[in-house]
Amino acid sequence: MAKKPEVKLTGRDKRTMGELVGLADSVVTAARKRQEPHIDIPARSLSNVKYSPRKRILEMGNNKNRRHLFNLSQAKSYMQTVLVASGCKQLIEQGKTTSIRGLFYLLKHTIEGTKEETFDSQSDCDPVIEDVEVALESLREELHLYAQKKGEMVGPITLIDSGDTIDCSRMGSGGFGIPSIVEPDVIKFQKCDAKFVLHVEKDTIWQRFNEDKFWRKHKCILTHGGGQPSRGVRRLLHRLHDELKLPIYCLLDNDPWGYYIYSVIKQGSINLAHESRRMAIPDARFIGLRSKDFDRCGLSKSVTIDLSDTDRKRARQIANYPWFVKKRPWQAEIKRMLDNGFKLEVEALISKDISYVTEEYVPARLKDKDWLD
Amino acid sequence: MPKIKKVKRSAITRTKKKVRRAASSNGQTDGRVGTNGAAPTKRRRATAKSMAADQRDISVSEFFAKNRHLLGYDNPRKALLTTIKEAVDNSLDACEEAGILPEIWVHVEQTGPARYKVGIQDNGPGILKKQIPLIFGKLLYGSKFHKLRMSRGQQGIGISAAGMYGVLTTGKPVKILSKISRRKPTHYYEIQIDTQRNLPQILNGKGQGVDIPPGEAGRKYIEKHGIEWTEVNAQGEDVVHGTRVTIELEAKYQRGRGSVDEYLEQTAIANPHVTLHYLDADANAHTYERSTDHLPPEPKEIKPHPYGVELGRLQAMLKDTDAPTLSQFLTGSFSRVSSAVARRICAAAGLTTRANTTRIGHQESDALYKAIQETKISNPTTDCISPIGEELILRGLHQVVPGEFYVAATRPPNVYRGNPFQIEVGLAYGGGSTAQRVSLEVLRELLGETDARTLRQFLIHTFNGVGNDAAEKIVKEAGTRSRQSPGKLKPREIEKLHAAMRSVNLDDGQTMSVMRYANRVPLQFQHSGCAITQAVMGTNWRSYGLSQSRGSLPSGPVTVMVHMASVWVPFTSESKEAIASYPEIQKELRLALQAVGRKLGMYLRRRLRVKKEGDRRATFLRYLGEVASAVSKINETDREELYGQLLKVAKKQTAEADVKLDDRGRPVDEEQQDFGRGVLIVDPEDADEKLLAATRASP
Repeated sequence: MAKKPEVKLTGRDKRTMGELVGLADSVVTAARKRQEPHIDIPARSLSNVKYSPRKRILEMGNNKNRRHLFNLSQAKSYMQTVLVASGCKQLIEQGKTTSIRGLFYLLKHTIEGTKEETFDSQSDCDPVIEDVEVALESLREELHLYAQKKGEMVGPITLIDSGDTIDCSRMGSGGFGIPSIVEPDVIKFQKCDAKFVLHVEKDTIWQRFNEDKFWRKHKCILTHGGGQPSRGVRRLLHRLHDELKLPIYCLLDNDPWGYYIYSVIKQGSINLAHESRRMAIPDARFIGLRSKDFDRCGLSKSVTIDLSDTDRKRARQIANYPWFVKKRPWQAEIKRMLDNGFKLEVEALISKDISYVTEEYVPARLKDKDWLD
Repeated sequence: MPKIKKVKRSAITRTKKKVRRAASSNGQTDGRVGTNGAAPTKRRRATAKSMAADQRDISVSEFFAKNRHLLGYDNPRKALLTTIKEAVDNSLDACEEAGILPEIWVHVEQTGPARYKVGIQDNGPGILKKQIPLIFGKLLYGSKFHKLRMSRGQQGIGISAAGMYGVLTTGKPVKILSKISRRKPTHYYEIQIDTQRNLPQILNGKGQGVDIPPGEAGRKYIEKHGIEWTEVNAQGEDVVHGTRVTIELEAKYQRGRGSVDEYLEQTAIANPHVTLHYLDADANAHTYERSTDHLPPEPKEIKPHPYGVELGRLQAMLKDTDAPTLSQFLTGSFSRVSSAVARRICAAAGLTTRANTTRIGHQESDALYKAIQETKISNPTTDCISPIGEELILRGLHQVVPGEFYVAATRPPNVYRGNPFQIEVGLAYGGGSTAQRVSLEVLRELLGETDARTLRQFLIHTFNGVGNDAAEKIVKEAGTRSRQSPGKLKPREIEKLHAAMRSVNLDDGQTMSVMRYANRVPLQFQHSGCAITQAVMGTNWRSYGLSQSRGSLPSGPVTVMVHMASVWVPFTSESKEAIASYPEIQKELRLALQAVGRKLGMYLRRRLRVKKEGDRRATFLRYLGEVASAVSKINETDREELYGQLLKVAKKQTAEADVKLDDRGRPVDEEQQDFGRGVLIVDPEDADEKLLAATRASP
């Protein structure tokens, strides 16, 4: 049943299949030679990412973690890695795609003769999928996988998504849900009247902008990522910037988490450093909230949130990231937040006036070109 | 005239006392102060003369009749044990001295409420006719007191005291039957002890005892008069020599701790050359067959060792000696003193070797004493002590105590107060409680047979290693009432009980059991007062892999037997229940316990490592199947072939587990080699079978 002749493998599928079979063959070869089978997985950690000042993005280093079958602490994850690979093979073979949650259910079963599950929870499975991606140097979509979609967009742009034409200026109040795979073979840009992209952190603020038809007034595309933006959102932003040459402005919270989101959009994440090339937008700009906004906008003390110890620690960590360390304005920004002793969410601006953020704050920043880079 | 002198002196002390008494009571304000002044006029309660009339010898037998607790007759239960113990000890001593492999019959029979008749017979050399009444009817009569030689008995109190106790409590005489050879007549005596004069009173044969002729005529006489005598031994041969003593006494027969059963079992462990036939009060016959035909080497009588002699004793010995010169005295009176050593001692003391012993004064003897302590003298000869030996300890322990690991250590002999002694320790580990291994069928049988009134009692008395807490836990787990009668359980309740016995963890509640021996005799009472128990508790067992709270016995399925062999065992009392703690003895005990402890630790650590390695392999094996399936799904290789290959790699990777385990997952023989001597590791499965057999045999 696994072999259905009607499924035609694309060139990319064939390449991925080759990688998968290569992985399996290495196990067989090792076993034949009575050697320990192992998989080399590029390390996905801070120590193995390099900031390239020239490209201004994070790049993955050459460190690899060797995962052994015959190592007590690695045996299970080795098994899981092979299992994920076999699951992906099945998907490619049958020409189907599934979410990472779907794959989790596809592979989850009780190990024969024990009471142990192959995967206890999805959080067990997700990092293994990322391991397979980096080990095979394949993209997630090449493995026929996608993440849960997250994030929406609206604005004067027309797309063709899997053959359907979508006018993003006619999406009502809900907006266009950004799919997790936004590669050119899935989504094509047809027509775009926007001048820039405004990316906000969360749904609440995005709704505010949408309801006030900010995007119509300012001719922009409005996106949000529901917190840390998913790969789909980041990839779409990258494409909008790269292909349509739209500048990207980010409106994020004034806290370490917001800084980090900006950092991920700008130079890529540590975890997915291998994808920075197609995701990072080194020219993205941070327009707010700023540490000085408490004074500048005359906010009340009651909308502030005190910094916790982890916040302070995290802020200092971020300040020491190589891509921030040489930027004076950023150092000043983070220092000011630490001096303030509190953080601010974008929603705090609503306390001034419901539409303060759309009618005054953002237009003023854009007009003054007052942003951090 | 010494008498007058004495009176005078006592008068002086009296007046002195009076003065003191007056002085001390001056501070008191009550009227009695005045009576002191009137003392001379008052009639004296007793005069020295009248007191002298009452002052007389106390017979030893009278003394012990009044203080019978000193000899181990404090309660009826212990009286029974002590009686049997004294008789068995004497029999074993006699047999070994005569070079006969001992075979002993013990017979306990209830004759009335709280009244028992015990008969102990041996195949020893027998006793000469004129000695019989003295041995059994006179306290402090014996051959062992004056000798420095390893034997079970010491003072010559034991068996005669047992007879005396019997006579005191039941009025029945002690009956002794003794046979020296096939052709000689058998002597038969009925004896009472005259407690006032400490002399035997012979009741039969007009005060002369009876001689039973050998052969058929004698056999008929024995039958006619109802005299007890076992004629045939275990091999079906006639018993041609031996002694039987029968004592009737007030007693109580009870199983469990400190019982006759326990004593005989422990005796069998420490005396693997003895065959014991035991018929208990409920007419159950037990037989402990000997596991070796070799008698322990004959212990030799020795002279005292110089290190153990105190100054006073040295002076006394100097006074008594016939040796003309100091050198002759030293070499002749002490062991391990050659003329060279004597020369060195004399040189150190600043005396000549030819000094006349009669001329040695206080100062010289003091110097001599110091010189002895400073001179290096080798330890006393070891052949005066016959230890059980590591091999026989292991054999004895293995036969009686279930377990998986046995270790024994015999220390080299040492000396306390000039008496050589030797410490031996055996240890059995594992086996767990019988309660956890017993099968459902056997449990049903046991429940049917038991006479315990409650389920809890049944659990405690039937299975070793089950204490009060553990029994309570099991009963709770099974969901039955603890007062439930064990005989009336329904089949489903029995199944539940069985499941509960398996699931409840008993290891925590189990404490180490300690068996103490002195010259192969088990010590069953006064655990806490004994140097052995103290040494066991003072040892840090935690470093050997057992858990132990401070100042108590360690816990775990462990049995330790400690044997002290010595020419003179220092008991804390005449009832011979506990060993006194001399520093030398404590040290040897500690070292011996540490020696077995180290090996136990090695074993436990190794077991842990093997288990860890086994776990490691199990982890790999768990995932191998998944890996093989996944890989074969991707590249369509043969799953089974790949699995087989991976399995081989896994075995190579966890090779350590293989070295320590054979294909059945058991420790292999080569392990025993690096443990050194005195170690026995048993296949747990075999141990189980033995264990169950043992559980089944004991009612």
